[in-house]
Amino acid sequence: MRSLGFRRAASLVVAAIALSRAPLSAHDMWIEPGTFGPAPHEIVAVKLRVGQDMLGDPLPRDSGLIRQFVIVDASGSRPVVGRDGSNPAGFVSVPQPGLAVIGYSSNPSSVEETAEKFNQYLKDEGLDAIAALRAARHETGAGVHEQFSRCAKSLVLSGPPGGAQGDRVLGFALELVAERNPYVLHSGEELPVRLTYQDHPLAGALVVAMNRLNPSEKISARTGHDGRVRLRLRPDAGMWLIKAVHMIPAPAGSNAEWTSYWASLTFELRATSGEGL
Amino acid sequence: MMYSFKQRNWPALVALLCCGVAHAHEIGTTRVSVLLKEDRTYDVEIVTDASALAEKLEASAGGSVPAKLDPAGFQVLFESFGPTFRQRVKIAFDGAEVRPAIAYSVAPPIDPTSATAATIHLTGQMPAGTHHFTWAFGWTFASYALTIRSAATDNPATEWLEGGQSSAPFALASPAKPLNRLHTAWLYLKLGFTHIVPLGLDHMLFVLGIYLLSRRARFVLWQVSAFTVAHSITLGLSMYGIVAVSPRIVEPLIALSIAYVAIENIFLSELKPWRVALVFAFGLLHGMGFAGALKELGLPRSEFVTALLTFNVGVEAGQMAVIGAAFTLVGWHCGNRAWYRSRIVVPASAAIACTAVYWTIKRLSF
Repeated sequence: MRSLGFRRAASLVVAAIALSRAPLSAHDMWIEPGTFGPAPHEIVAVKLRVGQDMLGDPLPRDSGLIRQFVIVDASGSRPVVGRDGSNPAGFVSVPQPGLAVIGYSSNPSSVEETAEKFNQYLKDEGLDAIAALRAARHETGAGVHEQFSRCAKSLVLSGPPGGAQGDRVLGFALELVAERNPYVLHSGEELPVRLTYQDHPLAGALVVAMNRLNPSEKISARTGHDGRVRLRLRPDAGMWLIKAVHMIPAPAGSNAEWTSYWASLTFELRATSGEGL
Repeated sequence: MMYSFKQRNWPALVALLCCGVAHAHEIGTTRVSVLLKEDRTYDVEIVTDASALAEKLEASAGGSVPAKLDPAGFQVLFESFGPTFRQRVKIAFDGAEVRPAIAYSVAPPIDPTSATAATIHLTGQMPAGTHHFTWAFGWTFASYALTIRSAATDNPATEWLEGGQSSAPFALASPAKPLNRLHTAWLYLKLGFTHIVPLGLDHMLFVLGIYLLSRRARFVLWQVSAFTVAHSITLGLSMYGIVAVSPRIVEPLIALSIAYVAIENIFLSELKPWRVALVFAFGLLHGMGFAGALKELGLPRSEFVTALLTFNVGVEAGQMAVIGAAFTLVGWHCGNRAWYRSRIVVPASAAIACTAVYWTIKRLSF
């Protein structure tokens, strides 16, 4: 185990970098439920967060942005209810034990970025193909107009974990799907994750995982031809965020050069007596 | 799109609505209000999510995520992070950063599910002789509204900023004060004059045409009076919106009126009654032309009548200047000569007529 001093220093660097990039326009967005382990019928606040390295600002509910905001479990799909403008953005309850998926997908937001910031962002998010395309078009020095949409999911577990429980496909434009219930992972086991774009596997995309308490030590891998990655998560308890970004040239007439989709998946690993993570 | 800040944020809402509907922004819960007071002190109020700010402060100092804190706990934490907080807050006047006093207050949430909000006030004195205020806040990632109220302006200015982004410089000085009556009168008098001399060549030629008919003062006076009364009528009626004729009709007719007066000068040397009536009718046309020019210049709402009257007086002064110049140059010395009509009036009128016919054709073709 690394020393506390090292972690403290690493956190300091991460926070400094995250905050120094504050004007960066496109940040991560994730769902943070009030608890990842609600009791049956417990009302759980669903917070939306926007930020970087898991330092996030609350995002109040904005009906103009919401494309889909749902909870899906064994009993079906229900909207995440809430009052417009409120923070937390919504509330859910899980009526019966099992794994529930909370999903939020947004309408596009638009942003204008300088060439410098956009190039850095492409580098940070592993969007090498877009950087290469810009270079080929001699656009590396040009600022851009971008539209971005959010595709955030969160897995909450009510009651005991079970092998039969699993993530669900919500049909988001870009979607991360855990192919194994993260709540049953044992130490040393990998979490298989599939990334799809418009319901098809997305190959070559950078998928990054980070833990709330130690976001500087990221685990990342690029998806294979089948859109899959296997992430060996550290046995760090607490909230995990898995994220991926996909960018395409913006459709004609959209007043933007690029369109991006930001997928995220949050869940919690629980401290165990050693058997699990 | 819908948007909600709970307190007095309708200017922000208006600004947001103006941004368009199709592509919204991810708006966080932070909002910043700046008050620039008359005594040259400033008060910047930041309202932000206490928990999110506490996490970022702790993280930037290498600490862990704080446990759930009550308002008093947040207050203690924020106060202990004062120097850290300052590092990402920038208040500058003319680009020079100032060091404000900082006061934190954290109120209990209105209900158990609501987030705890922190209100932070940054206060201080504006440096003497400075003219612009700029702001940057690096403790938020989401977009937020910056609202600036100033003693110098009636309406608050709202700007949407990304976290860390610097605001546009905000001018501290009062905008130009509304013109008083005397200034307005002088300004529009000058505008009326310059609309004839040197800018209104067509009007100058019309007045010259009137003058050239006969050097008898009585004849000139009759025509100028008819012209003045007529153009004053249509100028006023047009400016009040009672008369509206398209410039596409008025402008060619003005040119035609000049041609008519000039051509008549070649064949007529006495003032006939119809000439006065025609000059009156032409004056009505020219008045509409003046109105078009005055509308382009704009009239101050508070001094509408003053501006209208003094513009008209300026036009009159311009016309008198044209007649005075013509009299001084040729009328005074040559008016009594036998060749005055053949060598001055006829050729000058012919030249005016040719020019006016050319203008008529040109204005009709556009």
